[in-house]
Amino acid sequence: MKSNLYNHTFFISIIAALLLCTNGIAQQIDLSNYSMRFVFKTVKQADNSRLLEVSFIGFNDADRKDKLPVFGAEIQFLNVLNDEEIILGSSKTSKEGTAQLILLENQKYATDEQGYINLKARFNSTDALSIEEADIMVKDLHLDLNLSEIDSVKTVTLTAFTINSLGDKIPVSDLDVIINLNTMLSKMNINEGTIIDGTYTFEMTESFSGNTKGELTISSIIEENDEYGNIIQEKKVQWGTINKQVKFNDHSLWTKAAPIWMYVLLSILLLGVYINFIYTIVNLVKIKREGDNIKTEPKKNYTVY
Amino acid sequence: MKNKQIEEGATDRRKFLKLGLLTSFTAIASTSIITNLAAQEEETEKEATGEVMRLLTPDGKIVEVSASNINKYPEAFITPEESRKGIPDRKFVMVIDLAKCKNARKCVEGCQKGHNLDYHQEFMQIKLIQDNPLAEPYWFPKNCMHCDEPPCVKVCPTGATFKREDNIVLVDNERCIGCKFCVTSCPYSARIFNWEHKAKFDDKSQPYSPETNVPGATGTVMKCDFCPDLLRQGLLPHCAQSCPEGVIYFGDRNEDIVTNGAETVRFSELINKRGGYRHLEHLGTKPNVYYLPAVDKLYELEDGFDVNEEVKERYKNVPYVQELKKQGKI
Amino acid sequence: MNIQSRKRELFKEFAPRLETTSTVSKIYISFLIAIILVGIYAFYLQMSEGQIVTGMRDNVVWGIYEVNFILLVCISYSGAFISGILHFFHTPWKTAIARIVEIITVLSLLIGPIYILLCMGRLDRLHYLFMYPRIQSPITWDIIAIITDIVACFIYLYLTFIPDFAILRDHCEERDIPKWVKKMYKTLAIGYQDTKTQRDRLHKITRTMSAIIIVLAIVAYTVLAWIFSLTLQPGWNSTIFAPYFIVGGLFSGVAFIIVTMYLVRKFYKLEKYIRKMHFKVGGIILLILAMLYGYFTFTEYFSRWFSHKAIDTDLLDKLFTRYFWEFILANYVGILGPIGILFFKKLRTINWVTIASVIALVGIWINRYLIVIPTLETPYVPIQDTRVDYIFYAASWVEIALSFAGIAAFLLMFTLIGKLVPLVPMNYILDSHLETNKVKQKVNKEISE
Repeated sequence: MKSNLYNHTFFISIIAALLLCTNGIAQQIDLSNYSMRFVFKTVKQADNSRLLEVSFIGFNDADRKDKLPVFGAEIQFLNVLNDEEIILGSSKTSKEGTAQLILLENQKYATDEQGYINLKARFNSTDALSIEEADIMVKDLHLDLNLSEIDSVKTVTLTAFTINSLGDKIPVSDLDVIINLNTMLSKMNINEGTIIDGTYTFEMTESFSGNTKGELTISSIIEENDEYGNIIQEKKVQWGTINKQVKFNDHSLWTKAAPIWMYVLLSILLLGVYINFIYTIVNLVKIKREGDNIKTEPKKNYTVY
Repeated sequence: MKNKQIEEGATDRRKFLKLGLLTSFTAIASTSIITNLAAQEEETEKEATGEVMRLLTPDGKIVEVSASNINKYPEAFITPEESRKGIPDRKFVMVIDLAKCKNARKCVEGCQKGHNLDYHQEFMQIKLIQDNPLAEPYWFPKNCMHCDEPPCVKVCPTGATFKREDNIVLVDNERCIGCKFCVTSCPYSARIFNWEHKAKFDDKSQPYSPETNVPGATGTVMKCDFCPDLLRQGLLPHCAQSCPEGVIYFGDRNEDIVTNGAETVRFSELINKRGGYRHLEHLGTKPNVYYLPAVDKLYELEDGFDVNEEVKERYKNVPYVQELKKQGKI
Repeated sequence: MNIQSRKRELFKEFAPRLETTSTVSKIYISFLIAIILVGIYAFYLQMSEGQIVTGMRDNVVWGIYEVNFILLVCISYSGAFISGILHFFHTPWKTAIARIVEIITVLSLLIGPIYILLCMGRLDRLHYLFMYPRIQSPITWDIIAIITDIVACFIYLYLTFIPDFAILRDHCEERDIPKWVKKMYKTLAIGYQDTKTQRDRLHKITRTMSAIIIVLAIVAYTVLAWIFSLTLQPGWNSTIFAPYFIVGGLFSGVAFIIVTMYLVRKFYKLEKYIRKMHFKVGGIILLILAMLYGYFTFTEYFSRWFSHKAIDTDLLDKLFTRYFWEFILANYVGILGPIGILFFKKLRTINWVTIASVIALVGIWINRYLIVIPTLETPYVPIQDTRVDYIFYAASWVEIALSFAGIAAFLLMFTLIGKLVPLVPMNYILDSHLETNKVKQKVNKEISE
C-alpha cells in the first residue's frame, strides 16, 4: 500500500485529541433533515504525486450553517476501467470530514482509450448512512516548469503535454495557468496566462528577496480544468535578492548573556565587599582565640590600662 | 504494521514542522487549494461554529467536541526549552492598516478563542486614539510589538520572557516568578497578569508550550505571542485570520512579503508607499508591528460603535465620542 | 578598679529590664501579636486566593507593598549610612543613638524585603532568581544589594555588640537571669576580654565595616531608584532618581530615628543618655535634609512641568486633580512643614522635633505612593476599560492589614531586642568615660608638673 505517511498522522492526532477530550458527548439524532454532500477532488502535486481527497459533510436543509462533518468514515479510492475496479487505497475522514490519499509518481493507472483515468471514491453504507460514490475522469497532464535566465532576463517557461499510449509527447492548448511566488504564509500571484501549443513563457522583471539563501519558490497552478483536474508544479531558483540579515548581538541588555563589562564590574564590586566580610570574620576568630587563651591562663595579670 | 507506519509518520511530521520547512508544499499546499476552491463559504462558517464542534460518526452518532480541545498538531509540540530558539531564518513582522479597521473586534475574539482567554483578557486590544484635537480619532488595534529592544526582556530577572531570533518575544510561564517588572516596563501595556486561579489552568490535555500560552498559570504574566504554533503550520496568527477587513498583515521580513490572507504584498513597498510607522518610535524600542496611518478611512468612526454596551462604555472618556453622543450619532 | 565598678553600675542600670515584664507591656505585646496574626491571615488569603484579593490589577501592578518596601528599605539604608558615619567619624553623640540606629537598620532590612516578596505572583519559585539569574535585570542587582547589605549590617551590628555582651556575660551571674540568656551572652561574647589587642582589633574591623556600610548603602539606594528610573515610564524615567532617593531616604531615615529615639527615651527611661541635645542636632540634620529633599522634589516636578512632554503632562494633570490633596500633603506639608518647624531655634525642642519628624514620615510615605501609583495609572497607551479597579488603584484590606502587620512586627522585634540587650551601648559609654578620664589624667599630670 502506497500512502503518504503524513496523512495518517493527521488522523491519529485527531483521534488522540478526541480520546483526551473529556467532554465529548455521544447522542443519536435524526439525520433525515440533513443532506449528505460527498465531494471528490484530485490534484497532481509538484512532486508528480496525485492527491485524492473526499469531503464528506452533512448539511442541515433548513439551516445551511449547521453542518456535520462525518468523522472516521472509511473511504475507498478506486481506479475503474470498464467494469474492473482496482483498489488504490483507503483512508478515514478527519474531523473536517475530509479523507485523503496520496499516490506517488510511480503509481500505474488503468486508462481508457482516450487516455482518461477513471477514479472513484466510495463510502460503503452503514446502518445510519447510505452508500456514497463519486467519479472523476482526468487525463494525466505533465506540466514542466523551467526557470532560466535568457539574456539575463529571468524567464519562466511552462510546457504542458500528455503522453499517449505510444509514449509520444502531445502538447496541449488553451490551459489557463497562474504563476505564483510561494512564500512562508501565502502565495503571491505574479502572473496569469494561457498555455498555447504546449508552452507559456513569462519574463519576470520584478525582483524579490526570497528566503535567506536567496531562493525563490515559483509555482504554476492549473485549477479545475475539465480534462486535467488540478495540477501544481513548483521549483526553487536562485533569483532572490537576499535581504541583509539582521543579526542580533549576543551580549546585549535583552539577550541571555549580558554585556561583558557588566560581569566584570559586578565581580569586582562583589569580590571587594565579600573579601572584606571574610577579613572581618577572620579577625573575629582571632579575637576569640585570644579570649580563649586568656581564660586558660591565671587571671592575675589581667588588667586593662 | 500500520501502527508502526503511523508512528513513523508522526516523527516525520514533527521533524517537518520543527525544521520549519514550510516552503516545501506537499500536503499543506494541496489541502489549501482544495478547500479554497471548493468551499470558500465554508471557511466563514467554520468561524461561526463557536466553542463546540459537532461531528458525525459513520454509525450515525453525533459527538460534541470542545473546539479548543482539538489540538491539530499535538506531535509538533514545542517544549519551553525549544521555544527559546525560534523558527530559523525568519524575522516576523506585522502591519496593521488603520484605514481599514472598523472596530469589528473579530481579531480580539479570534485571539481570545485561540489562546483560551476570558472576556476581559485581551492580547489584542482596540483603542480609540486621537492624535491631536483637530483630528478625528481612529481605531487602533494594539498587541505586543515584539520589539527589537524589548524593555520587558531587559528587566526580567529570571529570563522567563525572552526574544528569539525570529523577532518573537515570548513568556515562559513555567519560569515566570510573577514579579511584574516586565508589566511596568512595557510602554505598550501589552502584558496581562493572572491575578487568580482559574479552572482552565488545570486543563492539562494540552502540554504547556510558551508558543501557545495555553494553559495559563496563576501568578504569571501572559501576552500576545504572534502565534508561532500556527506559523509553524504555515498559517496566519489568529488575529490576522479572523479579521474580516484584512486589516492585519503578517509575514517574514527576510522574504519582504506580508499577507492578510486575501492579499499578498511586499512589506517594504507597503511601508514606503503608505507611510508606515511604528507606535512610540521615539522611545527606541524598535517595534516589529508597523501601522499604516488612518488616512482615507474606509469606514465612519460611528460604524465602530456597533459593539456591545460594555465595549462602548470603554471609549466614553474620549472627548470626540462625547461630542458624537451629544449629536446623537452613537 | 574604676572601670570595673563603672561596668557594674552600667549593668545595674540596664539589666532590670531583662527580668521583669509588666502587665502593660504584656498587653502591648499581645496587641502587637494580634495585629501580626491578622496580617498572617491576610497573607494566607493572598497565598490561597491569589493576588486578586489585593487592590493590584493590570496597569497598577504594584501597590502599597512597593511603597512600604521603598520606605522601609530606605530607612534601613539610611540607618546603615548614619551609623557608618557615626562610627567612622567618631561622632561624639554616637553613644546615645548608635545602638538604636543599628537595630532600626537591621529590623527594617528584615521586614522591608518581605513586601517585595508579597508583590510576587509566584513565591514558590523564589529560588528561580538564583537558578536562572539574569544580571541585566535591576531586580537581580537589587537582590544582590539587599542580601549583601543584610550580611554587612548583621556583621556590623554584631561587632558593636561584642563588648556589651562581654559586660553582660561577666555580670549576669549577679542576677536571676534565665540560663539560656546567660549562655547566649557567653557564646555571643566570643571570649572578648577587653584586652588591648582585642580592643584594637575590634576597633579596626568595626571601622572598616562602617566604611563599607556607607558605600553599600549608597549603592543599594541607587539600585532601588534604578528599578524605577531605568524604565520608560513617565515620572520614573529620571536621571536624578538615584540621588533623589538617597536624599529622600536619609530624610525618612533621620525622621524615623528621631521618632524612635523619642519613644525609647520615654518608655525605657533613658533621659539621662538621650538628651535634648540629640534632638536638637537631629532637628538640624532633618532641616538640612528637608531642604535638600525639597530641592530635589522641586527640580523633579518643575523640569517635567516646564518641558511639558505629553505623557508627563498627563501624569502631572493626574497629580494635580485626582491626587491633589495627597500631593499637597506629600510635597508641601511633608517638606515645608518640617522646615517651618525646625527653622526656628526656639522650636527645636524634643516634642517639636518629634512632631516635625512624624510629619516628614507621613509626607514621604505619601510621596512614595505618588511616585509608584499615579505613574502606573498613566500608561502611554490610554487605559480604555470599564472596570474601575483596573483604572484606579485602591489598596484592599489585605494590603492594609499586611502593612500594619509589618509595623507591628517591627515594634515587637524592637521590644524583644530591648529586653535582651541594652538599647544604649554600654561600651560606648565606657569609651567616652575613658576619654574624659584620660583628659583628666593628662590635665592633672600637666598641673602637677
